[in-house]
Amino acid sequence: MLWRHMARLGAMALAAFVALSAPAAAQSKEITIWTMGGDQPGWIKWLDAISTNFQKNNPGATVKITYYDKSALLVALRTALRAGQGPDILYTEPDQLEFPDNGYLKALDDIVNWGNMQPWVRGGWTRKGHAWGVPCSAYTNEIYYNKRLMRELGVTIPPNGQLTQAQFIDLIKKAKAAGIEPFSLGTGDRPFTGAYLSFEPMLRKLGPDDYKKLLEGKLSYADPRVVEVLKFTKEIVDLGALPKSVATLSLTDSYAYFFNRRVLMFPQGTWYTQRAFAPPEKGGQPADFEMGIMTYPAMDGGACNECKTLAIGGGYAINADTKNITLASAFLKELGTPEMGTLWVVNNFSQSGIKFDANQVTGPHKAYFQALEQMKDNAKFFIGIPLNFVSGTCREAFVQVINVGLPAGLVTVEDAVKRMNAACYTGG
Amino acid sequence: MAGLAAKLATRTGLLLVVVLYTLYAVGPMVWLAAMSLRTTNEINLDHYGLPTVFHWSKYWQAWSTSTYETYFWNSVIVVGASVTVLTLVGSMAAFCLARYRFPGNRIVFLVLFSTILLPPQITIISLFQIMVEYQLFNSRLGLVLVYVGTQLPLTIYLLEGFFRRLPQDLFDAAKVDGYSDFEIFWRIAFPMAAPAIVTTVIVNFILLWNEFLYAVVLITDDKARTLPLGVQKFMGDQFSDIGMIATGAMISILPVIIVYAFFSEKIIQGMTAGAVK
Amino acid sequence: MAEARIDASPAIHRGGRAIFAGWRRHPWGVIGAFLVPALAFYVALTIYPVLRTLYNSVQQILPRGREKYVGFENYAALVGDPTFWKGILNTAIWAFISPIADVALGLILALCLYARVPLRRFFRVAWFTPVLISYVVVAIMWTWIYNYDWGIVNLGLNAVGLGDWRHSWLGEPRYALGALIFVDIWKWAGFNMIVCLAALHSLPSEVIEASELDNCGWFAKLFFVIIPMIRSTLVALLVLGVIGKMKVFDLVWIMTKGGPMWSTETVSTYVYKRAFEWSTFDLGYPSAIATVWFAVMLALVITITVALRQREKLEY
Repeated sequence: MLWRHMARLGAMALAAFVALSAPAAAQSKEITIWTMGGDQPGWIKWLDAISTNFQKNNPGATVKITYYDKSALLVALRTALRAGQGPDILYTEPDQLEFPDNGYLKALDDIVNWGNMQPWVRGGWTRKGHAWGVPCSAYTNEIYYNKRLMRELGVTIPPNGQLTQAQFIDLIKKAKAAGIEPFSLGTGDRPFTGAYLSFEPMLRKLGPDDYKKLLEGKLSYADPRVVEVLKFTKEIVDLGALPKSVATLSLTDSYAYFFNRRVLMFPQGTWYTQRAFAPPEKGGQPADFEMGIMTYPAMDGGACNECKTLAIGGGYAINADTKNITLASAFLKELGTPEMGTLWVVNNFSQSGIKFDANQVTGPHKAYFQALEQMKDNAKFFIGIPLNFVSGTCREAFVQVINVGLPAGLVTVEDAVKRMNAACYTGG
Repeated sequence: MAGLAAKLATRTGLLLVVVLYTLYAVGPMVWLAAMSLRTTNEINLDHYGLPTVFHWSKYWQAWSTSTYETYFWNSVIVVGASVTVLTLVGSMAAFCLARYRFPGNRIVFLVLFSTILLPPQITIISLFQIMVEYQLFNSRLGLVLVYVGTQLPLTIYLLEGFFRRLPQDLFDAAKVDGYSDFEIFWRIAFPMAAPAIVTTVIVNFILLWNEFLYAVVLITDDKARTLPLGVQKFMGDQFSDIGMIATGAMISILPVIIVYAFFSEKIIQGMTAGAVK
Repeated sequence: MAEARIDASPAIHRGGRAIFAGWRRHPWGVIGAFLVPALAFYVALTIYPVLRTLYNSVQQILPRGREKYVGFENYAALVGDPTFWKGILNTAIWAFISPIADVALGLILALCLYARVPLRRFFRVAWFTPVLISYVVVAIMWTWIYNYDWGIVNLGLNAVGLGDWRHSWLGEPRYALGALIFVDIWKWAGFNMIVCLAALHSLPSEVIEASELDNCGWFAKLFFVIIPMIRSTLVALLVLGVIGKMKVFDLVWIMTKGGPMWSTETVSTYVYKRAFEWSTFDLGYPSAIATVWFAVMLALVITITVALRQREKLEY
């Protein structure tokens, strides 16, 4: 009697098991892609174009793209890859060191046609001797500014976009006196935006070799030059130049802050235009906004004031555990063509790591892209942002102290130096 | 006369406090409801205005184009299955512990009871590993199993007390009539415990409907996500879509509010049962 | 005949037989059938994971099955980990302040309702609602309320002329933890109110006169009459509160993720970060944190149980 009931329950459980189990494994001719960009029509158009080409050249194959928000994507990848359930192709960024370091990505040295890439790209995404991703976006770190407000202050930015250290501070003071907020900046949901005003000047002051040493933990933060730069940043913060809500302002909101208030400058990577050139209802610049672009100031005694950061924004990698390596490789090959590079630029208004033809950009933004190309001519590039070099406790300290603490005025320079050395400096 | 005036003053003061507290307690949710019916542009212009145009279509938009439908049904399936299993398995165990005296009875009960106090961090990492090893990661079944495991101690605790209070004569009479143990349970004890069982069902439903930590660790596939995870979906990169976040949040709390509207007494009693000795 | 034989055997045999006979008295088959499903779940999904966490804590667990025994290295690293200690401090502060505050608030609210204001059934239902709202939605609502530019807290301060008191509530280390605790109190006061109200209603009727909030002396009546009489309820609520606050994760995670500058880092967020958000994938270290936390919770629960039992003994 009892056992009959048990058997019935058992049968129900089995039925439930079947009903609730994860869906059956995907067809072997379908490749899965996890990516961000679902809220950017240009990005979707770009991936669709690649998919079309891919399906044309690989009959019978299909593509399944799942769009995530950036932070949700990282969470999903971290757990899914560990569980052996990741996609075939994933969007990742060079600072997500945990993936190549733990063998979750396939080395792309022989898979990608590097001739189609910008010459610096392969090195920019090399770790432990192998290349891991095909970039879609690339950018340099600049400062965007409101031309009209700059005119109001009576300041002209020189053609190379660079002021001296003293002029920069002076500009900030002038703006504050005129009731203009000097900067928009938000570190609420990004681990690197707060470091623009400290580490870009740092690059110019130290020069590329010592800058790299600092990031790799071989140079102490107590080095007098480093301290000078941090003091420069602190000076800016103490002048009240950053928004009071910098610690909680999200990246998206920092754009609105820049457009909708009397704000003079906005440090961002040149992927700024990906959002700014969207229609105003979608968070883009207002129609009459006059956008200017300048770069970080030349530091006194700086070793390389013409240096600037050039980095890969993000790109696509292959899951090391994929069962569809041939198809995945084929997809990446379609992705990494100059045609697609140009399509990226045209649709997303930001530069690509794949070779592209800037002359193909038409419309109101053509002049901007030409100017951007020209700005590259006189610059020396350091490949990579600080987050590409730090991991573990050092990374956590960087995010909390340099990215949030310093801009929000939560740490003194001495405190920052102490914390960063404790977390990062390995003696060199 | 002075005494009466003072009394009146105190009463009005009291009423004021009560009304203010109500605004404070309920205000945010009313605001959320209002925002769920306005577009983000309207909200950005005036964050605290009342809806002038009631954009009921936003609910439909969230439901269909933003996969809220999927999240909702996932929540229903996961929570429904969990609560069902919890009720069956839990009531059986509670009945046994309450009415059968055997060596080890109190120890088992005490051990079960003490794990109510365990913080989830102690098991979350291992559960992640276990789910991966048994291919249950990213599956609703895996989440159901975990939910049952975590809520079982509380369920058993709540029901044990009730079963204990049932009169023994009932069972003695049934035994004399030739009922088997399982029949006694299924046909006598279980129906008698209906009020307590309804209470545990409701408590489990509310706790699991809102559960976040286990879901966020064990589910990454968008198709298997439950509502708490889905609500975060609109905190997007390009555009902080406050209006849609509000709509999504409302969708996720509406079932709880509706159940509460009908069963407020039961819910209140159920959720506070553990604390009232 | 048989009985005589049993009587003659040594005591230990007699005892053993008695136990065996007693053992046979219980319907183990039935007991097993009732308990086994529950115990199966329990062992598989609670006992086993706890043991496994203990096992993990002495390993370094990297992906792709690379496990390495590291002895007490993880624990040694814990001692020197400032984030861990900050997490403990924050959790301790939270678990200390928040229960006192929301039980006190719950008691006050219960007294208000007990004093027979009109519409008290409506208020009772309304005030309980925050308890039911998921932490995710609560976190989103309050993040907006605390927004520096348009959140109602800062707008309100501005409106009453206290504009200087505006702060980025979730963005400054000094205020972030307090801001979160404030939200927690908002959520749970209603729960405590219900329990206190039930306790008040169960008091003997003479006390009703005493608790009528009339003019002079009501304060004294409150402290010297009512509170002592419902003390056991208050203690139970406090204990429940302390234990509950030590588990908090959802609220912190969505509102501040432990920031700024670790001012809201709790043990639960730190464990999650190290296990699932660190740029190394090691699961051993967070398991060590979880183990230490388990020991702390266990010690706390045992202490409280023993302390309460002693007190009960004294009362008799």
